[in-house]
Amino acid sequence: MTLDTSVSTSGIGRLFRGQTAIDFYGHRRIGLISAVVVVVVTVLSLFTQGLNLGLDFEGGDAWDIPASETFGVQEAEAVLQANDISTTGARIQLRSSETSDIVTVQVEELPREQAAQVTADFAEAAGVTTQDISFSFTSSTWGREITEKAVRALVVFLIIVSIFISIRFEWRMALAAIAAMLNDVVFAVGFYSLFQFEVTPATVIAFLTILGYSLYDTIVVFDRVNENQGRYAGVRMPYEDIVNISMNQVMMRSMLTSFSSIIPVVSLLILGSGVLGAVALQEFALALLVGMISGVYSSIFIATPLLAYLKRDTGRKTRRDRMVGDDLRAAVMGAGVTGRVGDQRVSSDEPTVDADDDRELVSSTVAQPADRLLTHPPRPRKKKRR
Amino acid sequence: MKRRLWTSLIGVVLITLSTLVFNIATDNTPILGLDLQGGVSVILAPVEPATEQDLIIIRDLIRDELERRGIAEPDVRVQGQTIVVDLPGVRDQDEALSAVDVSGVVELRPVLNFSDCPAPEASQPALGLGDETPSTGSAPDTSVEPTGFRRPQAPPADTVPGDTVPGDTVPGDTAPGDTLPDGPIVNEPVPTQATVSGAELLPTRDGSVLCVGPAQGTGEVFQKGSAQLTGDQGWGVAVDLRGDGQATWNNLASQCFNAAPTCPSTQPGVRGQIAIVLDSIVQSAPQVNQPNFTDSVAITGDFSRDEASDLANVLNRGAFPVEVEAQEARTVSASAGTDSLRAAIIAGLIGLVLVLVFLVAYYRWLALVIVGGISVWAAMVFTMASFVSGWTNYALSLAGVTGIIVAIGVTVDSYVVFFERIKDELRNGRTIKNAAPRSFNMTWRTIWSADVVSLIGAFILFWLSVGSVRGFALYLGLTTICDLLVCYFFTRPAVLLLAQSKLMAKQDHVLGMNVATA
Repeated sequence: MTLDTSVSTSGIGRLFRGQTAIDFYGHRRIGLISAVVVVVVTVLSLFTQGLNLGLDFEGGDAWDIPASETFGVQEAEAVLQANDISTTGARIQLRSSETSDIVTVQVEELPREQAAQVTADFAEAAGVTTQDISFSFTSSTWGREITEKAVRALVVFLIIVSIFISIRFEWRMALAAIAAMLNDVVFAVGFYSLFQFEVTPATVIAFLTILGYSLYDTIVVFDRVNENQGRYAGVRMPYEDIVNISMNQVMMRSMLTSFSSIIPVVSLLILGSGVLGAVALQEFALALLVGMISGVYSSIFIATPLLAYLKRDTGRKTRRDRMVGDDLRAAVMGAGVTGRVGDQRVSSDEPTVDADDDRELVSSTVAQPADRLLTHPPRPRKKKRR
Repeated sequence: MKRRLWTSLIGVVLITLSTLVFNIATDNTPILGLDLQGGVSVILAPVEPATEQDLIIIRDLIRDELERRGIAEPDVRVQGQTIVVDLPGVRDQDEALSAVDVSGVVELRPVLNFSDCPAPEASQPALGLGDETPSTGSAPDTSVEPTGFRRPQAPPADTVPGDTVPGDTVPGDTAPGDTLPDGPIVNEPVPTQATVSGAELLPTRDGSVLCVGPAQGTGEVFQKGSAQLTGDQGWGVAVDLRGDGQATWNNLASQCFNAAPTCPSTQPGVRGQIAIVLDSIVQSAPQVNQPNFTDSVAITGDFSRDEASDLANVLNRGAFPVEVEAQEARTVSASAGTDSLRAAIIAGLIGLVLVLVFLVAYYRWLALVIVGGISVWAAMVFTMASFVSGWTNYALSLAGVTGIIVAIGVTVDSYVVFFERIKDELRNGRTIKNAAPRSFNMTWRTIWSADVVSLIGAFILFWLSVGSVRGFALYLGLTTICDLLVCYFFTRPAVLLLAQSKLMAKQDHVLGMNVATA
């Protein structure tokens, strides 16, 4: 059997064959620094300009009026002034799509009768019937209720998910996963604050989706870490190595999954809201895209290094440095099988192992997987090997 | 083993296909949210915590009201602690709002005068006189008596105090026959003419107006749901008094019976009237023929069957004084709604096809399992969405559609994790036949751990949040469950069977990898 064990020369080739040897733990500062930057920028942005909260959160009335050459933002403003409504707190925008242009007017909550009057005035000014104008209102209590309940749900969700991860894996993984997820939230909030995109209930829903997605992604990675932890139970493998091996092994999977998840969202953003002109889709798709990219990034660069950091003192002590380069690559390639890495020392008569031996042992165990790692080698092709 | 795999594979495909066909045949599609079909959507919430029973009754009331106004296909649903009124195709929000603006509180108010309220300064003398002749007033076409003492309504008898017959006390041209309670309804509240003592001019159901005093009781004085039609001597309504409501009712009744200034006689020889008011519309204004009532009240008069049953409904609904308020109203033009739906479907499908093309290019043969699995998943999601939206009343809104599109990524991930694992095993020298079951065992652990987190999220969001977030959580949970089902009952047998098949054994390349022997 010609098992292709040669290491690909190109980076992409190595990625496709699962031969990458990226020292994620060694680059943990990237994650740390980026997380700090994200938090600082978000906090600064929140303090200086805050969030551009939509109508649903503050409560108020909104109209969508078909725009024409004779009716634009100025005319809409004039109508508001004629009705003694302050235009300082009002938000008037012109929104264009493929099929039509719409003037969107948002003001604070008005009494029902006054709102009806304003609707009629808009219709007159724009030269359309009141039927052509979309009017919406939200009571401020309702917006607050939605937000409060969403936040409360989020807190309960965090607690229960932490308990679940702690039971299924361990508490350090729960901590790391939630830290990565919070980083995504902060990133998304910061993004929306910095660029002043409007936050609507749709955005909140998209954020919640992202939280689930980010956790999902992190757990897939952690499951591999957990599995490798068991596999190397017999050899003294430092946790940093286990994390690095696991990360490199799931690299391709993370890439593929992120790609498969992002394609539909990009399609929604470009085709749905761009080409087909469904503006409502844009609110969702933008937040989803931001959150997905952040989610994939955080599970690789924040969750896993953080986990290794939390676990660094808990594993067996080892005197060697963590593996990098070809050693790591060999381990990555060799460890992708089910079954446990047997401790070869048991048969040998070497009760004390020094640092060099330990290193040799690890690289020898992992370098020739087919020979040593499989607890039962594949039977049908056994004769044909070599 | 092999037989069980085949059973699972064929079973899940058959079940999914048959439910899908059943759904399509019975035209059972998911309820679409207003943002996907256009129209007016109003969310109402009770002012104080209400039981589900209360909300269901309010829902029925609103539905009745909408149907009475001829609004097509109102979709009124109880969603948690709110009532969602979706009116597809309705463009006039004012109409929708006034239709759903049912406070549901029945008030009992003394009738002060016909047609107009006395001016503040003139009100005091006028109250005691009670001899003004109403020009076009609403007739006291009903009377109140204790049950068991009903009298024939027609022909008109002599007007003896305490023995009222509505027909002959009607002044002017308002004969009982031509007061049509189901005639044109005054939609916009008549501007209230405030005078001293809280008097208000309110429209009646037949289009005229009555001046009524401040409310002295609510529908709560009546036993819940006890109002019923009585029909032995002309249509009437009998309603039971609640133990604690009896005093309230009798207090008002005795004022009116004695034509006290607070409830004056509006015409000579006629007792005072009690107006039964619902949502600022006088439903009925019967005369009081007895100062004291025990246990039950009979309202009789020259009712038609429909009028009497309307009144009975009003009294029953008044027994549920949970006030609701419109929290949100939204108009989506029909074109914007269908545009969103179309765009979401087209963009979603194109995205899905791109993902599948990419995966087929990457995984080659085994990607056929992904194509099959995603098809089964999609059919399953559609079927479950149809049933679940019917059961739970959560319409598939734009948020739900987006949730499903995101779920494509998560679903594809199950396959990616599985296939990447098989590739790892193959690289290390296992055969595909050997690698597939081992890989599945490891993958299944990963998938269910990750999916359980999604499910926890969905449940908590559904449980604790309101409005559109809930609908989204429902569909998120649904797609996750479908993912788990498809993964175990379709993907597992499909891949394992393929791996065992002779077809696979002959392949030089599996999953785009060279595993050629020799």
